[in-house]
Amino acid sequence: MATEIRRDVRLRQWAINYAILVPILFVVQLPLMWMVLTALKAKGHGLELRFIPHAGEALYTFDNFMSVLNDPSFPFSRFIMNSLIVASGCGALTVLICTMGGYGFAKKRFPLRDQLFGMLIAVMLVPGLIFMVPQFAITAKLGWMNTFTGMIVPHAANIFGLFLLRQHIRQLPDSLIEAATVDGAGEISIFWRVIVPLSVPIMITLFLLTFVGQWSNFLWQLIVNTPDSFKITLPVGLSYFKGQYSLEWERMMAGACFSILPVCALLLFTQRFFMQGLIAGGVKE
Amino acid sequence: MFWGIFFVSPFVLVAAVFLLFPIAYSLYLSLRETTLYTSWFDQFGQMKYVGFENYRRLVTDPVFWYSVLATGIYALLLIPTTVAASLWLALMLHSKLPGYRAFRSAFFLPHVFDVFVVGIIWLLLYNPQSGPFAWLFRSLGIDWFTKNGFVDNPISVLPSIAFAMVLKGMGFGMILFLTALNNIPESIFEAADIDGASPRQKLFRVTIPLLRPMILFQMVTGLVGALNAFSEFYALTKAGGGPAFSFFGSTVQSARVSGFHLFRLFDESYYGSAAAMSFILLGFALIIAWVNFRFLGKDNTA
Repeated sequence: MATEIRRDVRLRQWAINYAILVPILFVVQLPLMWMVLTALKAKGHGLELRFIPHAGEALYTFDNFMSVLNDPSFPFSRFIMNSLIVASGCGALTVLICTMGGYGFAKKRFPLRDQLFGMLIAVMLVPGLIFMVPQFAITAKLGWMNTFTGMIVPHAANIFGLFLLRQHIRQLPDSLIEAATVDGAGEISIFWRVIVPLSVPIMITLFLLTFVGQWSNFLWQLIVNTPDSFKITLPVGLSYFKGQYSLEWERMMAGACFSILPVCALLLFTQRFFMQGLIAGGVKE
Repeated sequence: MFWGIFFVSPFVLVAAVFLLFPIAYSLYLSLRETTLYTSWFDQFGQMKYVGFENYRRLVTDPVFWYSVLATGIYALLLIPTTVAASLWLALMLHSKLPGYRAFRSAFFLPHVFDVFVVGIIWLLLYNPQSGPFAWLFRSLGIDWFTKNGFVDNPISVLPSIAFAMVLKGMGFGMILFLTALNNIPESIFEAADIDGASPRQKLFRVTIPLLRPMILFQMVTGLVGALNAFSEFYALTKAGGGPAFSFFGSTVQSARVSGFHLFRLFDESYYGSAAAMSFILLGFALIIAWVNFRFLGKDNTA
């Protein structure tokens, strides 16, 4: 009897929650839906507030995607390639140096180790804009303007990533390392054969977080590329495209799809790793 | 010892060049300015020492103070709303709602999208004639937005941008709250039930106090985010900083928040002023973080 009343209350609560959550979800997903629908509309119809074609009218088309990919002055296929190179290059470099560094800080002894680590953690609290002007100056000085190196290296020292890997490697038992040493493994092979295989899930998490972050890193990629650069990435390309064709919303949204939809797909397949990283990041405080 | 240094050196090298050195270099730049005769190819090498002139010029400039004010308004519109909305979502999903995982992913999804690109999409959604929001207000009999636009007038530009960013960011806050909620032992709620606590009492006397560290964390990170906000303004104000109006005798652009102002200084080659401004902002961030910890972080037992 009592449980039945409880179930009733619970069902009612769920119904109320659905009634609230579903409309909110609709508004949250509105930009995504609007982008896709606008990108699919025929030229000149992007700013019309209707979605059902008149009889015999061709309101929807795939032409915008093709025309954007092959535009000679805004070659989106190259922008996508550049973004892929920058995002995966930065992801790979970040994971490599954070894993090495995490291992060093977690399991090795050297003078001032903990002081150095503490100092790096403190830097995490400094707002990012402080770094912008000097990073730009150093990048220019090194001759890295308009290069992939200039977009990748300055952001590879991800302190949060270092922290994540150090915490993980620290809780791996020392006996594993000792056993490998007894078996005659050198330092490098201990790292590659023992530490790396045991850290793969965290490494994937860090790679994905870096990849998505750099895929969308607009400001830095805007300032290290001059407008005539061949290394312009997707968000920067889109911003120039917007400056030029601000009235062609259908094509602009087709360009936006190339930025947003890959991230959707990536998140769908790798959700577990994302959540793991976010939770580790949020709980650390 | 050699191997320890060997393993940390790649990270430490990159961090030293691109994180530690820049803090010192930024301080150095903030005391200098680019001169008219500076060669374009060596702008940083030929800067002239001017002492605290950059700082003095900033704190006497109404445009700078407006950017601080605009950031404050934006942060007030954005942060409490995002925290409240994400807590609310988390509480609704936490009641073991069927479809919990699907909802969680769907709300989280926009968080990983490119801010700049999302900003451009919102420009379309906020279109005064053909956008869905203008249409919604028109059907409610309000045609103010159709006449004045959302991001085209000084009154609604900041709330409109904040609204878009709340929708984008609340899924992330929700995930953090869900994790924190899962860490609260069920027995605490059962004890409150036995004591006859109403749902409202449970929320305000049990749940929210226990979530205080997470609320504080989101307030502080939200604040740092607001101070760094740039791309959404660049996208939604068509790179112009928003509609202009008069502020203490100076013409200011209504959506020129601190991140945007700093970018403009940088873009116009005022590297010294830009560096000085980033230090003033760091000062503000530290003060507000301290106030937050002092007043929200009290009896921090969880």
